[in-house]
Amino acid sequence: MSNEIPLQRSPHRRILGRVAPDLFLGRSDALAGIASLAPHASGPRGLLVLAAPAAGASELLRQAYDKFFQQHGAASPIYFQWSRNDRTVALAARRFLHTFLAQLVAHRRDDPSFVNAPPPLRDLIDLADPSDYEWIERVVEAFERARDRADERALVHLCLSAPQLAAARGARSLILFDDVHSVDKLKGEVNLGIEIAQVAVHAEVPFVLSGLRRGLLDTLNGGDSPTRFDSFTTINLETLADPDARTLVDRLAYARRVTLNEQTRDLIAQQFDGSPFYVSAFMQAAKRTGVELTSFLNCQKLYVDELMGGRANRRFNAILEEIAPVLTTRRALVRVLHDSAVNAGGKSPAEAWRRRLELEPEQLYPVMNALHTHELASFNATFMEISANPVWRDYLKASYRLQVAAEPRALVVAETLLETLKRAPQTMARHYRRASALGLRELLERFDAQRVPASLLHNDRFSRAYRGADTEEAGAGLDAETDLIRLPQVVHAASCESFHLAMRQVCDEERCAVAHGFDAMPYADANEIVWIAAEIEGKMEIGRALTEVWCDRLPQVANACGFRRVRLWLVSPEGFTAEAAELLNERDVFSSSRRQLELLTARLSPEGLIGEGASPEPPDEFEMVIPMGGDTELIAAHTVEQIARRLKFMPEAINQIKTALVEACINASEHSLSPDRKIYQRFRVESDRLVVTVSSRGVRIPTAAQQGQNSNGHDPVGESAGRRGWGLKLIRTLMDEVEFERVDDGTRLRMTKFLPR
Amino acid sequence: MTDQAGEQPVRSERAGDVAVVYAGEYLNKLSGERVERECRRRLEEGCRALVLDFRQTGMVNSIGVSILLGVIDAAERAGASVVFSAVQHQAAQVFEMLGLTRHVRIAKNRTDALAQIANSAAVGVAPNKTK
Repeated sequence: MSNEIPLQRSPHRRILGRVAPDLFLGRSDALAGIASLAPHASGPRGLLVLAAPAAGASELLRQAYDKFFQQHGAASPIYFQWSRNDRTVALAARRFLHTFLAQLVAHRRDDPSFVNAPPPLRDLIDLADPSDYEWIERVVEAFERARDRADERALVHLCLSAPQLAAARGARSLILFDDVHSVDKLKGEVNLGIEIAQVAVHAEVPFVLSGLRRGLLDTLNGGDSPTRFDSFTTINLETLADPDARTLVDRLAYARRVTLNEQTRDLIAQQFDGSPFYVSAFMQAAKRTGVELTSFLNCQKLYVDELMGGRANRRFNAILEEIAPVLTTRRALVRVLHDSAVNAGGKSPAEAWRRRLELEPEQLYPVMNALHTHELASFNATFMEISANPVWRDYLKASYRLQVAAEPRALVVAETLLETLKRAPQTMARHYRRASALGLRELLERFDAQRVPASLLHNDRFSRAYRGADTEEAGAGLDAETDLIRLPQVVHAASCESFHLAMRQVCDEERCAVAHGFDAMPYADANEIVWIAAEIEGKMEIGRALTEVWCDRLPQVANACGFRRVRLWLVSPEGFTAEAAELLNERDVFSSSRRQLELLTARLSPEGLIGEGASPEPPDEFEMVIPMGGDTELIAAHTVEQIARRLKFMPEAINQIKTALVEACINASEHSLSPDRKIYQRFRVESDRLVVTVSSRGVRIPTAAQQGQNSNGHDPVGESAGRRGWGLKLIRTLMDEVEFERVDDGTRLRMTKFLPR
Repeated sequence: MTDQAGEQPVRSERAGDVAVVYAGEYLNKLSGERVERECRRRLEEGCRALVLDFRQTGMVNSIGVSILLGVIDAAERAGASVVFSAVQHQAAQVFEMLGLTRHVRIAKNRTDALAQIANSAAVGVAPNKTK
């Protein structure tokens, strides 16, 4: 696949950011949240960033820093990463003060060189802006006195109050505290987490407090009277959503000049579960090793290399070293973790851990807590459950075999590769199935005690009334229905698997959901109800036998979970046969097809009311690859004709689009030394236009300036040089918008034709 | 329309000293060159006029058009006139856009084209437009 996402020019200097802003994706809301913090504003005074591991929280803060550094006259951004490497509370506090003053001076002098290489504390006094000179000198002197007295508490207070002191002298700042959870590891008399919380809440300075989501609040909320973060907003930072993860892979491939294709791109995004850390590390490794990521085999070879000795390996090693610094304990820990992981459900009793690790309870608790904080396992008071994250599981298995079982490295590498390679198609299949699921849980959450036509929940009735009817007709019919069903007010919805693990054996997590709620007021036992909704896969109507299996299975789940009043709802893409419908009615089970579900979704959606003519989104993009030569442009022309007809373009416009596409294909064939001799086409349908993109690899066709030679209004006939350059002139005349996009390897031409209003 | 239009032979016929040449379904480089070769052959035979019939031509591209210009030039040098007949919608659009219609006459069909040529000969005027 040619890399199709040209990087934009960076809008600002990179100071602390480790990736270009173009490669920092899916975090615009989080950045906006940080930007909303302003001193003296009426908005939130602070922000808690509860981050999933390896979700890129540090990079978020660094990108925010770089962004705010450019804003002269605004608050000075201060980025500080708390680290257990400081060893003591006093040393960490001292490093913060030094960092604070260096970054403040850097911002006020607009000199970012101080940020990465801070001058000594005393030198900062001389480098400070004249308006800051006096107060900085006083702070430094006060710091030196506290340090000399070895008064840890006074020193910590002084260092942490520096932003407040600066603000009182007119030097405003925005404090970005990273890895706050790690202060728990610092030795000292003062509980630094509590001190940070106090300062952040009470100072007239905005603070961003970021850390691992399972550790941050515990760190900040220690002590007898936990700090209340009423004036703070909270951001939950997860790994990237799938589209962002795929875009990140694409952009990294482009930036690192790594070849990949759509299949491997999707595998990388899926395998690393959208983690920017792992994806970046992997693409960096691909660049370093020169591996072409054009096959699952190449991808998985590199993945295993990363697992055995790359950044993924180093990350897990570092965490385990932090948790169990002594080698023998660490080896025992790997053994226990591995054995727990291979147990059914990945669970094992905490007591078994204590015995096998030979640790006293007060030694065991920090180990379990750290595993929990890093989300390598979940600690639930009486048992430990190992995380199902595939990268962690792969690392754990390989580490166990190498370190504990002492198997030959070559054997471990070979078998890990075989295993991950076998898993790759399953990973993708799982992803495709997940993407095609109907979203029952989300739909149940939106019920909100609304009334809907009963036929939306009775497939047989719906088929009788609306089979063959278009959306508008069906919408009108449903509007006229008087038999309505009141949906429950759902208070909690989750996958069925979350309640009953055995469901994992029979369906995907997304395809069966359980919703707790009330089907009438008041909130009382009698009105409590549980809906269990399951999606049955099938290309045709589901028959009686399979329906019966589900009609038996779901009550068993309800029974096993102790649900008292239950409503069952079966959904199948094409609905149910008449025989199945009979059974469903006998058992009083609701049933719907995909179409009913779409209509129901539209009714429950405030912006998508079916009665107002809204309809499910049609497929909006078509792609086609044709070989160059052999008049294959005609095949493309036929295709675009069909698409344009669907959009109801007039015949004349259809001819224009076809001609333009034929010319674009000829251009691609004639003006490139394409290595693959292929023309890539994409037809994107939008509400008011058709966008056709034609791209090819190889040598670029003439530049825009050269193209303009034939569009100067002269009669082309008779211009000897012009006759073979008419293609571009034609395209420009026939289409409403024509744009050439530069790509590294080849050419891309985008042509747009608007529908007449 | 086939996708390999250029491989089909070009059909032509004589009507007195007028040659009627039938373009194929897709006028591109290859099929255009075949049309051009046939036209030159007919001019060398002594034809005084060419009718290029596009009744089957559903698609033309700019390279095909540039070759047609070569045909028009050759005919002009031989003192022969050129008429396009039965031009379909897509081809007409492209001919118009690339200025070809300023150099040839367009007839509804072959019969109309032959009639135009006969009338021009009767009044002693070459049917080609002035460049």
